[in-house]
Amino acid sequence: MLTRITKAVLCAGALTLAQPAAQAEEFTEADLKSWEEQFMTVVKRGEKLFHGGLESKNTVSCDQCHPNATNTHPETYPKFQQQLGKVAVLSEMINWCIENPLETEPLALDDPRMTALQAYITWERRGVELAPGKH
Amino acid sequence: MSIKRRDFLKTGGALLAAGSLPLSLVEVAFGKNSPQNFTFAFISDSHITHIKGNEFVRNWDMGLKRAIAEANLMTPRPDFTIYGGDIAQLGTPEEIDHGLELLGALRGDVRYVMGEHDYYLDLGDYWRKQLGPDYYSFDHKGVHFVVLNSIVTYDEWTHQDWDTPMARMKEMARLDNPNGSPFMVGPTQREWLRKDLEKVDKDTPLVVISHSPLQKIYKGWNFWTDDAEEVQALLKPFRKVTVLYGHVHQIQYNQIGNISFHAAMATAWPWPYPSTYSQEASYMPKLTVEMNRADPFFERDATGWQFINMHSGNVDVHYTLPDNTNRVVAFNEDKGHPEDTKYQAEAEQIPPQEHY
Amino acid sequence: MLQKLPTAGALSLALLCGPLPALGETPLGLPPVPIPADNPQTPAKIELGDRLFNDVRFSADGKVSCATCHDPSKAFTDNLPVSEGFKGLKGTRNAPTVINAAYMETQFWDGREPSLEAQSLQPPINPVEGGLENHDPILKTIRDDPQYVNAFREVFQVSPDEITMDHVAKAIASFERTQIAGDSPFDRYFFGGEEDAMTEAQIRGFQVFTGQGRCVSCHQVEQTQALFTDNRFHNIGVGFKNIKGRVAEIAEEFLKAKAEGADVDKTVLTDPDASELGRFAVSEDMTDIAAFKTPTLRNIELTAPYMHDGSQETLEDMVEFYNNGGRVNPDDPVSPFLSGGIRPLDLSEQQKEDLIAFMKALTSPSVAAATKSAANNAQ
Ligand SMILES: [Fe+2]
Ligand SMILES: [Fe+2]
Repeated sequence: MLTRITKAVLCAGALTLAQPAAQAEEFTEADLKSWEEQFMTVVKRGEKLFHGGLESKNTVSCDQCHPNATNTHPETYPKFQQQLGKVAVLSEMINWCIENPLETEPLALDDPRMTALQAYITWERRGVELAPGKH
Repeated sequence: MSIKRRDFLKTGGALLAAGSLPLSLVEVAFGKNSPQNFTFAFISDSHITHIKGNEFVRNWDMGLKRAIAEANLMTPRPDFTIYGGDIAQLGTPEEIDHGLELLGALRGDVRYVMGEHDYYLDLGDYWRKQLGPDYYSFDHKGVHFVVLNSIVTYDEWTHQDWDTPMARMKEMARLDNPNGSPFMVGPTQREWLRKDLEKVDKDTPLVVISHSPLQKIYKGWNFWTDDAEEVQALLKPFRKVTVLYGHVHQIQYNQIGNISFHAAMATAWPWPYPSTYSQEASYMPKLTVEMNRADPFFERDATGWQFINMHSGNVDVHYTLPDNTNRVVAFNEDKGHPEDTKYQAEAEQIPPQEHY
Repeated sequence: MLQKLPTAGALSLALLCGPLPALGETPLGLPPVPIPADNPQTPAKIELGDRLFNDVRFSADGKVSCATCHDPSKAFTDNLPVSEGFKGLKGTRNAPTVINAAYMETQFWDGREPSLEAQSLQPPINPVEGGLENHDPILKTIRDDPQYVNAFREVFQVSPDEITMDHVAKAIASFERTQIAGDSPFDRYFFGGEEDAMTEAQIRGFQVFTGQGRCVSCHQVEQTQALFTDNRFHNIGVGFKNIKGRVAEIAEEFLKAKAEGADVDKTVLTDPDASELGRFAVSEDMTDIAAFKTPTLRNIELTAPYMHDGSQETLEDMVEFYNNGGRVNPDDPVSPFLSGGIRPLDLSEQQKEDLIAFMKALTSPSVAAATKSAANNAQ
């Protein structure tokens, strides 16, 4: 529920910028449903990418080590990653996995596939409290 | 035989980690005339993956090579090796052959168990062609060993209208597949097992080896065997029963009635514990002190193999864990169940053992 | 609540940290030097340690001091593949630099000693280093030397009879704890915010270092400091060719000898086969076969040759070795005990050059100056 409201607020904000004339605070049940559907199509896309859809060079896929995206801990990012030498965000860690176990070129951080992977990973972890920095 | 198991763990245990020499010391400690004490190696889940031509995924190859090299360091040699299944990733002849070629470097005999990754391409044809029957029993130094193929499933799933055999293989290869199907031993093997056990004295220690756990932990990932209770019932009359299994790629141990359960680490990669999937409930045995969380930056971390000390009909499982601290899970006679010899007490547990 | 042992180590390291060393400030890029509670730094003790460090009388032929292999004018190394002890006898290991050794959680390539104090006791009595039978001649020399007698009295409040090797070790370790060097171009760039402290090539090289090169996995850099080591032990493939096919036999023979009382320090420095067992010789854990401690990369430009056996002559050789996945030649055999983190890196020529340029950004000006002035004096 919380996620939805946050999302709605964010989206409403975006709308305001795009269409100054629109009634920013008015959206309907139908809007909410539609936005959720939009989001879930990206989650589904992420699920496919996660399960072999990245077509990695060595055929290894994310789900081989992370069934249902477990042990990805999106709620703990940003966090200090000793072996990246810095506080990193989730997408940087995803790229580490793509480059190493998957032996494939990393994605641009704003690549739609990167967005989809994060959508799926966080969706599988919905409801878990944020714990930035946690190990 | 005057030396107690605890003494062995204290003296031999520390040395055993060295992988060399110590076993001969152990043998001396127990006396050479004790026929039921021996060791065997337990290697599992290498998931050899064919890329193309003669290219295979290096990471998984290296995991198996390392386990073999380490097992070969044991002196004296383990009596034999159990291979716990999932030698291949997609069950192809290339993968099975490459895995067997690597395993050829292992000293001594290997007994193989069928995993779902070996099976669902051709329903085990090539595997059986190379390795023989997928369920069988044998006796060794007074212990009766049974190997089961526990990863068959319902015919409606197996024989549905697949585009290709590889399509079926890939469906089953996805662990978290909502369209998968639960594993089972099935009525044919259960009937064979009943007959096989008829000839065995109830005091004879029994070791049953399957790929999936013969207990129900989490159905969503097939950490599960649908007819586990039926199989357990057949094992019930025996005084000392140990079930060893692969598939879960992690440390698990449990005691159900007379049966001790122990899982193997994979040589390829670790699975998370099902309890870490926040959307579903699962049933991890309370007894299990979990393995350290994997550090992905060390590709061999949270993988490994086991050597097993068969002692008085029970087993001590020595988890050999590259890039990490080895673990020993041994049967505790007083408590009547297996326990970690170092980390069992809550106060002894360390932060990486917390999975969330 | 961090994940791994090194972190727990770092934590205890932080707890141990007392006051700064008596000489010098903590340089940019480094944490405060950990000082053991039972060996506080004092100027007199450091000065005494300096003298002991350079005293050639503590060896069988009266020619070998700590500084023989840890030469201050050679960045506290000897620039030899393996060190030469008394009568020119050779050991099996490359002398690591003393600079920043104070941050190491263990000493020697295999971590067989836990502290600088304990480390300093070994070389004088090793048959291929100082060559002494035992420590008695050292104590005798000290007790017969009025300057030493005074210094020990001042530093430790002991009479000549009361001087022990424990005091000697503490003084040497105190001196070594002043050999700290940061402030490199990398430190100024990364921690000091000086954008032009590194060249373009060095900046690109740092990306290779943390990215495709995977160097940072072991040679650690953090948000506020960089030790360039994880204080752990890894098998990166060095020396595997020498013991290929014989690991089981060498390990068994070594364990047998050790169980019968053989000294690890003497065995690994005199027996080339046993030396290749690395950390295993200490831990007896199969995980540690041929694993050696991650050395720091600070001042690496000045500490050639490289690796535990000095087998890599140049930074170029070393990068090539890693790029081949822990092999000198790409078709050399791969050790089954190789660390999981080591695999072919597929670096381009440009990336290799950049990476080498980056490593040259790790030279501290103080160390460069000491090396240079020595070179000038020699001319
Ligand atoms: Fe498996
Ligand atoms: Fe499996």
